[in-house]
Amino acid sequence: MKATQITGRLWVLRDAEGNLYNDIDTDMIFHNRYLHITALAQMGQYTLDNLKGWEDFALRAQAGDLIMAGRNFGSGSSRQQAVDCFRALGIAAIIAESFGAIYKRNAINSGLPLIAFPELSKYGVRFQTGDTVTVNFVTGDVLRNSAEPFQAQPFSKVQLAIYEAGDLFEYGKTAES
Amino acid sequence: MGKTFAEKVLAQKAGLKQTTAGQIVTVKPDRLLTHDNTSAIAATFRKIGVARVADPSMNVIVLDHVTPAADETYATSHQATRAFVAEQGISAFYDIGEGICHQVLPEKGHAWPGAVIVGSDSHTPTAGAFGAFAAGIGRTEAAAVMATGEIWLRVPESLRVQLREMLPSRVSAKDVSLYLIGLLRADGADYCSVEFAGEAISAMSVGERMTLTNMSAEMGAKNAVVEPDEKTFAWLAGRVSQPFTPVFADADAAYTRIIELDASTLAPQVACPHTVDNVAPVTEVAGKRVDQVVIGTCTNGRLEDLRVAAEILRGKHIAQGVRLLVLPASRENLQAALAEGVITDLIAAGATLLNPGCGPCLGAHQGCMAPGETTLSTSNRNFKGRMGSKDATIYLGSPATAAATALTGVITDPREV
Repeated sequence: MKATQITGRLWVLRDAEGNLYNDIDTDMIFHNRYLHITALAQMGQYTLDNLKGWEDFALRAQAGDLIMAGRNFGSGSSRQQAVDCFRALGIAAIIAESFGAIYKRNAINSGLPLIAFPELSKYGVRFQTGDTVTVNFVTGDVLRNSAEPFQAQPFSKVQLAIYEAGDLFEYGKTAES
Repeated sequence: MGKTFAEKVLAQKAGLKQTTAGQIVTVKPDRLLTHDNTSAIAATFRKIGVARVADPSMNVIVLDHVTPAADETYATSHQATRAFVAEQGISAFYDIGEGICHQVLPEKGHAWPGAVIVGSDSHTPTAGAFGAFAAGIGRTEAAAVMATGEIWLRVPESLRVQLREMLPSRVSAKDVSLYLIGLLRADGADYCSVEFAGEAISAMSVGERMTLTNMSAEMGAKNAVVEPDEKTFAWLAGRVSQPFTPVFADADAAYTRIIELDASTLAPQVACPHTVDNVAPVTEVAGKRVDQVVIGTCTNGRLEDLRVAAEILRGKHIAQGVRLLVLPASRENLQAALAEGVITDLIAAGATLLNPGCGPCLGAHQGCMAPGETTLSTSNRNFKGRMGSKDATIYLGSPATAAATALTGVITDPREV
Protein backbone atom coordinates (compact mmCIF):
# COMPACT_ATOMS: atom_id res chain seq x y z
CA MET A 1 0.00 0.00 0.00
CA LYS A 2 1.42 3.38 -0.97
CA ALA A 3 1.42 6.46 1.23
CA THR A 4 -1.70 8.54 0.78
CA GLN A 5 -0.13 11.56 2.43
CA ILE A 6 3.11 13.04 1.17
CA THR A 7 5.32 15.97 2.11
CA GLY A 8 7.82 17.60 -0.20
CA ARG A 9 9.50 20.69 -1.51
CA LEU A 10 7.31 22.77 -3.83
CA TRP A 11 8.03 24.25 -7.25
CA VAL A 12 5.51 26.95 -8.20
CA LEU A 13 5.42 27.30 -11.98
CA ARG A 14 4.93 30.99 -12.67
CA ASP A 15 5.16 32.90 -15.94
CA ALA A 16 7.20 36.02 -16.66
CA GLU A 17 4.52 38.20 -15.00
CA GLY A 18 4.66 36.12 -11.84
CA ASN A 19 1.23 34.53 -12.34
CA LEU A 20 0.61 30.81 -12.04
CA TYR A 21 1.21 29.32 -15.47
CA ASN A 22 -2.09 28.37 -17.18
CA ASP A 23 -2.48 26.05 -20.17
CA ILE A 24 0.90 24.35 -19.85
CA ASP A 25 0.54 22.05 -22.86
CA THR A 26 2.16 18.72 -23.57
CA ASP A 27 4.61 20.31 -26.01
CA MET A 28 5.86 22.57 -23.20
CA ILE A 29 6.14 19.61 -20.86
CA PHE A 30 7.74 17.14 -23.25
CA HIS A 31 8.41 18.57 -26.68
CA ASN A 32 7.52 16.61 -29.79
CA ARG A 33 11.14 16.51 -30.88
CA TYR A 34 11.73 13.87 -28.18
CA LEU A 35 8.70 11.72 -28.97
CA HIS A 36 10.86 8.87 -30.24
CA ILE A 37 12.05 8.33 -26.65
CA THR A 38 10.15 5.55 -24.93
CA ALA A 39 12.56 4.56 -22.12
CA LEU A 40 11.50 6.13 -18.82
CA ALA A 41 15.09 6.67 -17.68
CA GLN A 42 15.79 8.94 -20.66
CA MET A 43 12.70 11.12 -20.28
CA GLY A 44 13.42 13.09 -17.12
CA GLN A 45 16.13 15.31 -18.62
CA TYR A 46 13.71 16.93 -21.11
CA THR A 47 10.94 17.76 -18.61
CA LEU A 48 9.55 21.29 -19.14
CA ASP A 49 12.44 22.21 -21.42
CA ASN A 50 10.04 24.07 -23.73
CA LEU A 51 8.40 26.07 -20.94
CA LYS A 52 9.70 29.62 -20.93
CA GLY A 53 11.69 30.32 -17.78
CA TRP A 54 11.73 26.66 -16.71
CA GLU A 55 14.01 25.12 -19.34
CA ASP A 56 16.47 23.87 -16.69
CA PHE A 57 13.81 22.38 -14.41
CA ALA A 58 15.11 18.83 -14.85
CA LEU A 59 18.49 19.85 -13.42
CA ARG A 60 16.95 21.58 -10.41
CA ALA A 61 14.24 19.13 -9.45
CA GLN A 62 14.81 16.35 -6.94
CA ALA A 63 12.93 13.16 -6.26
CA GLY A 64 10.06 13.82 -3.87
CA ASP A 65 9.44 17.39 -5.06
CA LEU A 66 5.93 18.70 -5.78
CA ILE A 67 4.83 20.97 -8.61
CA MET A 68 2.13 23.65 -8.64
CA ALA A 69 0.59 25.26 -11.73
CA GLY A 70 -2.58 27.03 -12.88
CA ARG A 71 -5.49 26.02 -15.09
CA ASN A 72 -5.57 23.24 -17.69
CA PHE A 73 -2.18 21.68 -16.93
CA GLY A 74 -1.29 19.08 -19.58
CA SER A 75 -3.63 20.24 -22.31
CA GLY A 76 -2.94 19.08 -25.84
CA SER A 77 -1.66 15.76 -27.03
CA SER A 78 -2.16 12.34 -25.48
CA ARG A 79 1.57 11.65 -25.28
CA GLN A 80 2.48 9.41 -22.37
CA GLN A 81 5.91 10.99 -22.00
CA ALA A 82 4.35 14.19 -20.66
CA VAL A 83 3.32 12.18 -17.59
CA ASP A 84 6.23 9.76 -17.52
CA CYS A 85 8.91 12.48 -17.56
CA PHE A 86 7.72 13.58 -14.09
CA ARG A 87 7.72 9.99 -12.90
CA ALA A 88 11.27 9.69 -14.22
CA LEU A 89 12.30 12.66 -12.06
CA GLY A 90 10.50 11.22 -9.05
CA ILE A 91 8.03 14.12 -8.80
CA ALA A 92 5.69 13.19 -5.94
CA ALA A 93 2.58 15.10 -7.07
CA ILE A 94 1.33 17.87 -9.33
CA ILE A 95 -1.10 20.39 -7.86
CA ALA A 96 -3.04 22.53 -10.34
CA GLU A 97 -6.28 24.43 -10.63
CA SER A 98 -7.36 21.96 -13.33
CA PHE A 99 -5.89 19.43 -15.75
CA GLY A 100 -6.31 18.50 -19.40
CA ALA A 101 -8.76 15.61 -19.71
CA ILE A 102 -6.51 13.05 -21.36
CA TYR A 103 -3.56 14.12 -19.23
CA LYS A 104 -5.54 13.49 -16.08
CA ARG A 105 -6.43 9.96 -17.17
CA ASN A 106 -2.86 9.24 -18.22
CA ALA A 107 -1.54 10.36 -14.87
CA ILE A 108 -4.16 8.46 -12.89
CA ASN A 109 -3.47 5.31 -14.87
CA SER A 110 0.28 5.70 -14.40
CA GLY A 111 0.00 6.30 -10.67
CA LEU A 112 1.25 9.91 -10.80
CA PRO A 113 -0.73 11.86 -8.17
CA LEU A 114 -2.58 14.87 -9.56
CA ILE A 115 -4.28 17.19 -7.10
CA ALA A 116 -7.05 19.39 -8.46
CA PHE A 117 -7.16 22.59 -6.41
CA PRO A 118 -10.07 24.58 -7.89
CA GLU A 119 -9.52 27.64 -5.69
CA LEU A 120 -5.88 28.01 -6.63
CA SER A 121 -6.55 31.19 -8.61
CA LYS A 122 -7.44 32.73 -5.24
CA TYR A 123 -4.79 31.10 -3.04
CA GLY A 124 -1.93 30.56 -5.50
CA VAL A 125 -0.19 33.78 -4.40
CA ARG A 126 0.35 32.27 -0.95
CA PHE A 127 2.59 29.51 -2.27
CA GLN A 128 6.25 29.98 -3.10
CA THR A 129 8.90 27.78 -4.61
CA GLY A 130 10.78 26.16 -1.75
CA ASP A 131 7.72 25.85 0.51
CA THR A 132 7.26 22.54 2.26
CA VAL A 133 3.85 21.21 1.33
CA THR A 134 1.90 18.25 2.64
CA VAL A 135 -0.92 16.77 0.59
CA ASN A 136 -3.44 14.17 1.70
CA PHE A 137 -4.89 12.34 -1.31
CA VAL A 138 -7.81 10.90 0.64
CA THR A 139 -9.06 14.13 2.22
CA GLY A 140 -7.70 16.71 -0.22
CA ASP A 141 -6.04 18.60 2.62
CA VAL A 142 -3.07 20.72 1.60
CA LEU A 143 -0.79 22.10 4.31
CA ARG A 144 1.76 24.82 3.57
CA ASN A 145 4.89 24.99 5.75
CA SER A 146 3.25 22.91 8.50
CA ALA A 147 1.01 25.84 9.34
CA GLU A 148 -1.36 27.07 6.65
CA PRO A 149 -4.18 24.68 5.64
CA PHE A 150 -6.03 24.67 2.32
CA GLN A 151 -8.67 22.43 0.81
CA ALA A 152 -8.13 20.75 -2.55
CA GLN A 153 -10.16 17.93 -4.10
CA PRO A 154 -9.64 14.44 -2.72
CA PHE A 155 -8.84 11.63 -5.12
CA SER A 156 -11.83 9.96 -6.75
CA LYS A 157 -12.45 6.36 -5.75
CA VAL A 158 -10.96 4.89 -8.91
CA GLN A 159 -8.00 7.30 -8.79
CA LEU A 160 -7.21 6.24 -5.24
CA ALA A 161 -7.57 2.55 -6.04
CA ILE A 162 -5.24 2.77 -9.05
CA TYR A 163 -2.74 4.87 -7.10
CA GLU A 164 -2.69 2.46 -4.19
CA ALA A 165 -2.20 -0.49 -6.52
CA GLY A 166 0.68 1.32 -8.26
CA ASP A 167 -0.72 1.78 -11.73
CA LEU A 168 -3.51 0.63 -14.00
CA PHE A 169 -1.86 -2.75 -14.65
CA GLU A 170 -1.35 -3.58 -10.99
CA TYR A 171 -4.89 -2.35 -10.32
CA GLY A 172 -6.15 -4.70 -13.02
CA LYS A 173 -4.48 -7.62 -11.29
CA THR A 174 -6.02 -6.77 -7.91
CA ALA A 175 -9.44 -6.38 -9.48
CA GLU A 176 -9.24 -9.83 -11.03
CA SER A 177 -7.88 -11.68 -8.00
CA MET B 1 -35.30 14.47 -17.31
CA GLY B 2 -33.93 13.26 -20.62
CA LYS B 3 -30.44 12.02 -21.33
CA THR B 4 -27.53 13.37 -23.35
CA PHE B 5 -25.85 11.50 -26.17
CA ALA B 6 -22.94 10.51 -23.91
CA GLU B 7 -25.23 9.26 -21.12
CA LYS B 8 -27.25 7.17 -23.56
CA VAL B 9 -24.45 5.67 -25.61
CA LEU B 10 -22.40 4.73 -22.54
CA ALA B 11 -25.43 3.22 -20.81
CA GLN B 12 -26.11 1.11 -23.87
CA LYS B 13 -22.49 0.00 -24.07
CA ALA B 14 -22.18 -0.75 -20.35
CA GLY B 15 -25.40 -2.77 -20.39
CA LEU B 16 -27.07 -0.38 -17.95
CA LYS B 17 -30.56 0.99 -18.08
CA GLN B 18 -29.24 4.51 -17.76
CA THR B 19 -26.21 6.48 -16.70
CA THR B 20 -25.73 10.00 -15.38
CA ALA B 21 -22.85 12.40 -15.92
CA GLY B 22 -20.13 11.75 -13.36
CA GLN B 23 -20.78 8.01 -13.14
CA ILE B 24 -17.91 5.63 -13.82
CA VAL B 25 -18.71 2.79 -16.21
CA THR B 26 -16.71 -0.05 -17.68
CA VAL B 27 -17.24 -0.74 -21.36
CA LYS B 28 -15.84 -2.86 -24.13
CA PRO B 29 -14.98 -0.37 -26.86
CA ASP B 30 -15.83 -1.25 -30.46
CA ARG B 31 -12.49 -0.02 -31.73
CA LEU B 32 -9.09 0.89 -30.34
CA LEU B 33 -7.19 3.24 -32.67
CA THR B 34 -3.41 3.53 -32.45
CA HIS B 35 -0.80 4.99 -34.83
CA ASP B 36 2.99 5.25 -34.92
CA ASN B 37 2.90 4.96 -31.14
CA THR B 38 1.78 1.32 -31.51
CA SER B 39 5.40 0.20 -31.16
CA ALA B 40 5.64 1.85 -27.73
CA ILE B 41 2.19 0.56 -26.75
CA ALA B 42 3.19 -2.93 -27.86
CA ALA B 43 6.27 -2.72 -25.63
CA THR B 44 4.06 -1.76 -22.66
CA PHE B 45 1.58 -4.49 -23.61
CA ARG B 46 4.35 -7.10 -23.42
CA LYS B 47 5.27 -5.93 -19.92
CA ILE B 48 1.76 -6.78 -18.74
CA GLY B 49 2.59 -10.38 -19.42
CA VAL B 50 -0.39 -11.23 -21.63
CA ALA B 51 0.55 -13.04 -24.83
CA ARG B 52 -2.38 -12.10 -27.07
CA VAL B 53 -4.50 -9.00 -27.51
CA ALA B 54 -7.97 -9.54 -26.09
CA ASP B 55 -9.72 -9.07 -29.43
CA PRO B 56 -7.67 -8.54 -32.62
CA SER B 57 -10.74 -7.22 -34.45
CA MET B 58 -10.93 -4.30 -31.98
CA ASN B 59 -7.54 -2.94 -33.05
CA VAL B 60 -7.17 -0.42 -35.86
CA ILE B 61 -3.58 0.59 -36.52
CA VAL B 62 -2.55 3.33 -38.95
CA LEU B 63 1.00 4.49 -39.61
CA ASP B 64 0.63 8.22 -40.26
CA HIS B 65 2.70 10.44 -37.97
CA VAL B 66 6.13 10.26 -39.54
CA THR B 67 5.56 8.48 -42.83
CA PRO B 68 7.55 7.45 -44.77
CA ALA B 69 10.03 7.07 -41.92
CA ALA B 70 12.26 10.14 -41.66
CA ASP B 71 15.22 8.30 -40.17
CA GLU B 72 16.39 5.02 -38.71
CA THR B 73 14.67 5.56 -35.34
CA TYR B 74 11.27 6.01 -36.96
CA ALA B 75 11.93 3.17 -39.40
CA THR B 76 12.72 0.84 -36.50
CA SER B 77 9.54 1.89 -34.75
CA HIS B 78 7.45 1.20 -37.86
CA GLN B 79 9.17 -2.16 -38.20
CA ALA B 80 8.21 -3.07 -34.62
CA THR B 81 4.59 -2.12 -35.34
CA ARG B 82 4.45 -4.29 -38.45
CA ALA B 83 5.90 -7.21 -36.50
CA PHE B 84 3.31 -6.72 -33.73
CA VAL B 85 0.48 -6.62 -36.28
CA ALA B 86 1.66 -9.89 -37.85
CA GLU B 87 2.22 -11.58 -34.49
CA GLN B 88 -1.22 -10.63 -33.14
CA GLY B 89 -3.17 -11.30 -36.34
CA ILE B 90 -4.55 -7.76 -36.57
CA SER B 91 -6.24 -7.31 -39.94
CA ALA B 92 -7.14 -3.60 -39.71
CA PHE B 93 -3.59 -2.39 -40.27
CA TYR B 94 -2.98 0.48 -42.68
CA ASP B 95 0.63 1.05 -43.59
CA ILE B 96 2.22 4.33 -44.76
CA GLY B 97 0.43 6.11 -47.56
CA GLU B 98 -3.16 5.28 -46.56
CA GLY B 99 -3.51 8.53 -44.68
CA ILE B 100 -4.11 10.00 -41.25
CA CYS B 101 -5.62 7.65 -38.68
CA HIS B 102 -8.64 9.88 -37.98
CA GLN B 103 -9.50 9.90 -41.68
CA VAL B 104 -8.65 6.28 -42.44
CA LEU B 105 -10.66 4.97 -39.45
CA PRO B 106 -14.06 6.00 -40.87
CA GLU B 107 -13.05 5.49 -44.51
CA LYS B 108 -12.31 1.84 -43.79
CA GLY B 109 -15.57 1.32 -41.94
CA HIS B 110 -14.38 1.50 -38.33
CA ALA B 111 -16.69 4.30 -37.17
CA TRP B 112 -20.49 4.25 -37.09
CA PRO B 113 -23.36 5.83 -35.19
CA GLY B 114 -23.50 4.55 -31.62
CA ALA B 115 -19.99 3.04 -31.70
CA VAL B 116 -17.60 3.57 -28.79
CA ILE B 117 -14.08 4.27 -30.02
CA VAL B 118 -10.98 5.02 -27.99
CA GLY B 119 -7.66 5.98 -29.50
CA SER B 120 -4.16 6.82 -28.35
CA ASP B 121 -4.31 10.22 -29.97
CA SER B 122 -5.89 13.41 -28.70
CA HIS B 123 -7.80 13.99 -31.94
CA THR B 124 -9.72 10.73 -31.67
CA PRO B 125 -12.95 12.73 -31.07
CA THR B 126 -12.96 13.32 -34.85
CA ALA B 127 -14.97 10.11 -35.31
CA GLY B 128 -17.84 11.74 -33.40
CA ALA B 129 -18.77 13.31 -36.73
CA PHE B 130 -20.38 9.94 -37.49
CA GLY B 131 -22.44 9.81 -34.30
CA ALA B 132 -19.86 7.72 -32.45
CA PHE B 133 -18.57 8.28 -28.92
CA ALA B 134 -14.85 8.72 -29.58
CA ALA B 135 -12.26 9.77 -27.00
CA GLY B 136 -8.50 10.02 -26.75
CA ILE B 137 -6.53 8.00 -24.20
CA GLY B 138 -2.85 7.55 -23.36
CA ARG B 139 -0.41 4.83 -24.28
CA THR B 140 -0.51 3.02 -20.95
CA GLU B 141 -4.25 2.83 -21.16
CA ALA B 142 -4.19 1.74 -24.80
CA ALA B 143 -1.94 -1.16 -23.77
CA ALA B 144 -4.42 -2.04 -21.03
CA VAL B 145 -7.32 -1.98 -23.51
CA MET B 146 -5.34 -4.26 -25.82
CA ALA B 147 -4.83 -6.69 -22.97
CA THR B 148 -8.26 -6.63 -21.35
CA GLY B 149 -10.56 -5.41 -24.10
CA GLU B 150 -12.15 -3.06 -21.57
CA ILE B 151 -11.86 0.50 -20.32
CA TRP B 152 -13.29 2.56 -17.47
CA LEU B 153 -14.88 5.82 -18.52
CA ARG B 154 -16.39 8.64 -16.54
CA VAL B 155 -19.65 9.63 -18.19
CA PRO B 156 -18.93 13.22 -19.23
CA GLU B 157 -21.06 16.26 -18.64
CA SER B 158 -22.39 17.64 -21.92
CA LEU B 159 -22.31 20.97 -23.63
CA ARG B 160 -24.48 21.73 -26.64
CA VAL B 161 -23.60 24.03 -29.50
CA GLN B 162 -26.60 25.13 -31.51
CA LEU B 163 -25.63 26.75 -34.81
CA ARG B 164 -28.63 28.31 -36.50
CA GLU B 165 -28.81 29.99 -39.93
CA MET B 166 -26.23 29.37 -42.66
CA LEU B 167 -22.52 30.19 -42.87
CA PRO B 168 -21.63 32.98 -45.30
CA SER B 169 -19.50 32.30 -48.36
CA ARG B 170 -15.85 31.49 -47.58
CA VAL B 171 -16.62 30.98 -43.91
CA SER B 172 -16.28 27.33 -42.94
CA ALA B 173 -16.47 24.76 -40.18
CA LYS B 174 -12.90 25.65 -39.24
CA ASP B 175 -13.93 29.23 -38.58
CA VAL B 176 -16.80 28.00 -36.39
CA SER B 177 -14.36 25.86 -34.40
CA LEU B 178 -11.82 28.64 -33.95
CA TYR B 179 -14.53 31.08 -32.94
CA LEU B 180 -15.87 28.63 -30.35
CA ILE B 181 -12.43 27.89 -28.93
CA GLY B 182 -11.76 31.61 -28.64
CA LEU B 183 -15.05 31.94 -26.79
CA LEU B 184 -14.69 28.90 -24.51
CA ARG B 185 -10.87 28.98 -24.15
CA ALA B 186 -8.56 25.96 -24.24
CA ASP B 187 -10.20 24.38 -21.20
CA GLY B 188 -13.77 25.55 -21.76
CA ALA B 189 -15.05 22.05 -22.50
CA ASP B 190 -12.66 20.10 -20.24
CA TYR B 191 -13.88 16.50 -19.75
CA CYS B 192 -17.11 17.43 -21.58
CA SER B 193 -19.01 15.81 -24.39
CA VAL B 194 -19.77 18.49 -26.99
CA GLU B 195 -22.91 18.04 -29.10
CA PHE B 196 -23.13 20.02 -32.33
CA ALA B 197 -26.55 20.70 -33.83
CA GLY B 198 -28.51 23.19 -35.90
CA GLU B 199 -29.16 24.24 -39.47
CA ALA B 200 -25.58 25.18 -40.29
CA ILE B 201 -24.37 21.77 -39.08
CA SER B 202 -27.02 19.93 -41.11
CA ALA B 203 -25.90 21.89 -44.15
CA MET B 204 -22.27 20.85 -43.69
CA SER B 205 -20.70 17.93 -45.52
CA VAL B 206 -19.53 14.98 -43.45
CA GLY B 207 -15.96 16.17 -43.98
CA GLU B 208 -16.72 19.62 -42.56
CA ARG B 209 -18.37 18.02 -39.54
CA MET B 210 -15.14 16.11 -38.98
CA THR B 211 -13.35 19.47 -38.74
CA LEU B 212 -15.69 20.46 -35.89
CA THR B 213 -15.27 17.27 -33.90
CA ASN B 214 -11.53 17.23 -34.57
CA MET B 215 -11.02 20.74 -33.19
CA SER B 216 -13.10 20.04 -30.08
CA ALA B 217 -9.95 18.55 -28.57
CA GLU B 218 -8.56 22.09 -28.46
CA MET B 219 -11.25 23.19 -26.02
CA GLY B 220 -10.54 20.21 -23.81
CA ALA B 221 -13.51 18.09 -24.90
CA LYS B 222 -13.51 14.40 -24.07
CA ASN B 223 -15.56 13.71 -27.17
CA ALA B 224 -17.71 15.61 -29.63
CA VAL B 225 -20.63 14.42 -31.68
CA VAL B 226 -22.78 15.39 -34.63
CA GLU B 227 -26.11 13.61 -34.86
CA PRO B 228 -26.13 11.24 -37.81
CA ASP B 229 -28.46 12.06 -40.71
CA GLU B 230 -29.00 11.01 -44.33
CA LYS B 231 -25.60 12.49 -45.29
CA THR B 232 -23.91 10.36 -42.65
CA PHE B 233 -25.69 7.20 -43.72
CA ALA B 234 -24.87 7.84 -47.38
CA TRP B 235 -21.21 8.38 -46.50
CA LEU B 236 -21.06 5.19 -44.45
CA ALA B 237 -22.88 3.03 -47.02
CA GLY B 238 -20.54 0.43 -48.45
CA ARG B 239 -17.97 1.08 -45.71
CA VAL B 240 -19.56 -0.22 -42.50
CA SER B 241 -20.63 -3.83 -42.68
CA GLN B 242 -22.27 -4.39 -39.28
CA PRO B 243 -25.74 -3.16 -38.37
CA PHE B 244 -25.91 -0.17 -36.05
CA THR B 245 -28.46 1.82 -34.12
CA PRO B 246 -27.94 5.59 -34.03
CA VAL B 247 -28.09 7.24 -30.60
CA PHE B 248 -29.69 10.67 -30.29
CA ALA B 249 -29.74 12.98 -27.29
CA ASP B 250 -33.17 13.51 -25.74
CA ALA B 251 -34.74 16.90 -26.36
CA ASP B 252 -34.91 17.57 -22.61
CA ALA B 253 -31.39 16.36 -21.75
CA ALA B 254 -29.41 18.24 -19.09
CA TYR B 255 -26.50 20.33 -20.38
CA THR B 256 -23.92 22.22 -18.35
CA ARG B 257 -24.07 24.89 -21.02
CA ILE B 258 -25.90 25.60 -24.25
CA ILE B 259 -24.20 27.91 -26.72
CA GLU B 260 -26.33 29.39 -29.46
CA LEU B 261 -24.64 31.01 -32.40
CA ASP B 262 -25.97 32.68 -35.51
CA ALA B 263 -23.75 31.20 -38.23
CA SER B 264 -24.62 33.95 -40.69
CA THR B 265 -22.79 36.53 -38.58
CA LEU B 266 -19.46 34.66 -38.44
CA ALA B 267 -16.30 35.90 -40.18
CA PRO B 268 -13.15 33.91 -41.00
CA GLN B 269 -11.11 33.40 -37.83
CA VAL B 270 -7.40 32.96 -37.16
CA ALA B 271 -5.71 31.48 -34.08
CA CYS B 272 -2.62 33.54 -33.31
CA PRO B 273 0.58 32.30 -31.65
CA HIS B 274 1.04 30.37 -29.38
CA THR B 275 -2.30 28.97 -28.21
CA VAL B 276 -5.34 27.78 -30.14
CA ASP B 277 -7.64 29.96 -28.06
CA ASN B 278 -5.80 33.16 -29.01
CA VAL B 279 -8.36 33.80 -31.73
CA ALA B 280 -9.06 36.92 -33.77
CA PRO B 281 -11.13 37.66 -36.88
CA VAL B 282 -8.89 37.44 -39.95
CA THR B 283 -9.40 41.16 -40.54
CA GLU B 284 -7.42 41.90 -37.37
CA VAL B 285 -4.34 39.94 -38.41
CA ALA B 286 -4.50 40.55 -42.16
CA GLY B 287 -1.21 41.77 -43.60
CA LYS B 288 1.07 39.62 -41.44
CA ARG B 289 3.81 38.19 -43.68
CA VAL B 290 4.19 34.40 -43.83
CA ASP B 291 6.95 32.11 -45.11
CA GLN B 292 4.91 28.95 -45.40
CA VAL B 293 1.31 27.84 -45.79
CA VAL B 294 0.15 24.32 -44.95
CA ILE B 295 -3.14 22.94 -46.29
CA GLY B 296 -4.00 19.49 -44.99
CA THR B 297 -3.88 17.39 -41.78
CA CYS B 298 -6.70 15.58 -39.97
CA THR B 299 -8.40 18.95 -39.48
CA ASN B 300 -8.58 20.17 -43.08
CA GLY B 301 -7.04 17.75 -45.56
CA ARG B 302 -10.23 16.44 -47.13
CA LEU B 303 -11.53 16.82 -50.68
CA GLU B 304 -13.83 19.72 -49.77
CA ASP B 305 -10.88 21.56 -48.20
CA LEU B 306 -8.62 21.00 -51.21
CA ARG B 307 -11.46 22.09 -53.51
CA VAL B 308 -11.84 25.41 -51.69
CA ALA B 309 -8.10 26.03 -51.97
CA ALA B 310 -8.05 25.14 -55.66
CA GLU B 311 -10.98 27.41 -56.35
CA ILE B 312 -9.00 30.35 -54.95
CA LEU B 313 -5.66 29.42 -56.55
CA ARG B 314 -6.83 28.09 -59.94
CA GLY B 315 -5.05 29.83 -62.81
CA LYS B 316 -3.01 31.95 -60.40
CA HIS B 317 0.33 31.54 -58.68
CA ILE B 318 1.33 31.76 -55.03
CA ALA B 319 3.35 34.79 -53.94
CA GLN B 320 7.09 34.81 -54.38
CA GLY B 321 8.92 33.71 -51.23
CA VAL B 322 6.01 31.62 -49.92
CA ARG B 323 6.12 27.84 -49.69
CA LEU B 324 2.75 26.12 -50.02
CA LEU B 325 2.58 22.55 -48.71
CA VAL B 326 -0.49 20.48 -49.57
CA LEU B 327 -1.09 17.13 -47.94
CA PRO B 328 -4.35 15.26 -48.45
CA ALA B 329 -5.71 13.50 -45.37
CA SER B 330 -5.84 10.11 -47.08
CA ARG B 331 -5.16 8.16 -50.24
CA GLU B 332 -8.89 8.25 -50.96
CA ASN B 333 -8.94 12.04 -50.73
CA LEU B 334 -5.79 12.31 -52.83
CA GLN B 335 -7.30 10.10 -55.53
CA ALA B 336 -10.56 12.04 -55.55
CA ALA B 337 -8.70 15.35 -55.73
CA LEU B 338 -6.56 14.00 -58.57
CA ALA B 339 -9.62 12.84 -60.47
CA GLU B 340 -11.23 16.27 -60.15
CA GLY B 341 -8.14 18.11 -61.28
CA VAL B 342 -7.84 19.84 -57.91
CA ILE B 343 -4.30 18.60 -57.35
CA THR B 344 -3.24 19.66 -60.84
CA ASP B 345 -4.56 23.15 -60.18
CA LEU B 346 -2.78 23.42 -56.84
CA ILE B 347 0.52 22.19 -58.22
CA ALA B 348 0.26 24.55 -61.19
CA ALA B 349 -0.26 27.37 -58.68
CA GLY B 350 3.04 26.50 -57.03
CA ALA B 351 2.06 24.01 -54.31
CA THR B 352 4.41 21.29 -53.10
CA LEU B 353 2.45 18.04 -52.77
CA LEU B 354 3.22 15.80 -49.79
CA ASN B 355 2.02 12.24 -49.26
CA PRO B 356 -1.13 11.64 -47.18
CA GLY B 357 -0.15 11.70 -43.50
CA CYS B 358 0.45 14.08 -40.62
CA GLY B 359 3.28 15.83 -42.45
CA PRO B 360 4.76 18.91 -40.76
CA CYS B 361 1.91 19.33 -38.24
CA LEU B 362 3.83 17.82 -35.35
CA GLY B 363 7.20 19.15 -36.38
CA ALA B 364 8.98 15.88 -37.02
CA HIS B 365 9.58 16.20 -40.76
CA GLN B 366 8.33 17.56 -44.10
CA GLY B 367 8.32 21.29 -43.59
CA CYS B 368 9.79 22.24 -40.22
CA MET B 369 10.46 25.95 -39.78
CA ALA B 370 13.69 27.87 -39.22
CA PRO B 371 14.00 30.46 -36.42
CA GLY B 372 12.00 33.59 -37.15
CA GLU B 373 9.75 31.97 -39.74
CA THR B 374 5.96 32.06 -39.81
CA THR B 375 3.49 29.44 -41.06
CA LEU B 376 -0.23 29.74 -41.56
CA SER B 377 -1.64 26.23 -41.28
CA THR B 378 -5.03 24.56 -41.52
CA SER B 379 -3.99 22.17 -38.73
CA ASN B 380 -5.23 22.21 -35.15
CA ARG B 381 -2.30 23.27 -32.94
CA ASN B 382 -0.05 26.30 -32.91
CA PHE B 383 1.89 25.56 -29.73
CA LYS B 384 5.27 27.21 -29.55
CA GLY B 385 7.87 25.16 -31.35
CA ARG B 386 5.37 22.62 -32.66
CA MET B 387 6.49 22.88 -36.30
CA GLY B 388 10.24 23.12 -35.92
CA SER B 389 12.11 26.01 -34.30
CA LYS B 390 10.95 27.32 -30.93
CA ASP B 391 11.48 30.77 -32.41
CA ALA B 392 9.02 30.23 -35.23
CA THR B 393 5.33 31.14 -35.12
CA ILE B 394 2.19 29.36 -36.29
CA TYR B 395 -1.19 30.85 -37.18
CA LEU B 396 -4.19 28.59 -37.74
CA GLY B 397 -6.94 29.23 -40.24
CA SER B 398 -9.35 27.68 -42.71
CA PRO B 399 -8.40 26.25 -46.11
CA ALA B 400 -9.85 29.38 -47.77
CA THR B 401 -7.79 31.69 -45.54
CA ALA B 402 -4.72 29.52 -46.17
CA ALA B 403 -5.15 29.63 -49.95
CA ALA B 404 -5.75 33.39 -49.95
CA THR B 405 -2.67 33.83 -47.77
CA ALA B 406 -0.52 31.71 -50.08
CA LEU B 407 -1.67 33.83 -52.99
CA THR B 408 -0.64 37.14 -51.44
CA GLY B 409 2.17 36.14 -49.05
CA VAL B 410 0.45 37.87 -46.14
CA ILE B 411 -2.46 36.71 -44.00
CA THR B 412 -5.46 37.52 -46.17
CA ASP B 413 -9.22 37.57 -45.75
CA PRO B 414 -10.48 34.92 -48.18
CA ARG B 415 -13.57 37.01 -48.90
CA GLU B 416 -11.32 39.54 -50.60
CA VAL B 417 -9.62 37.39 -53.22
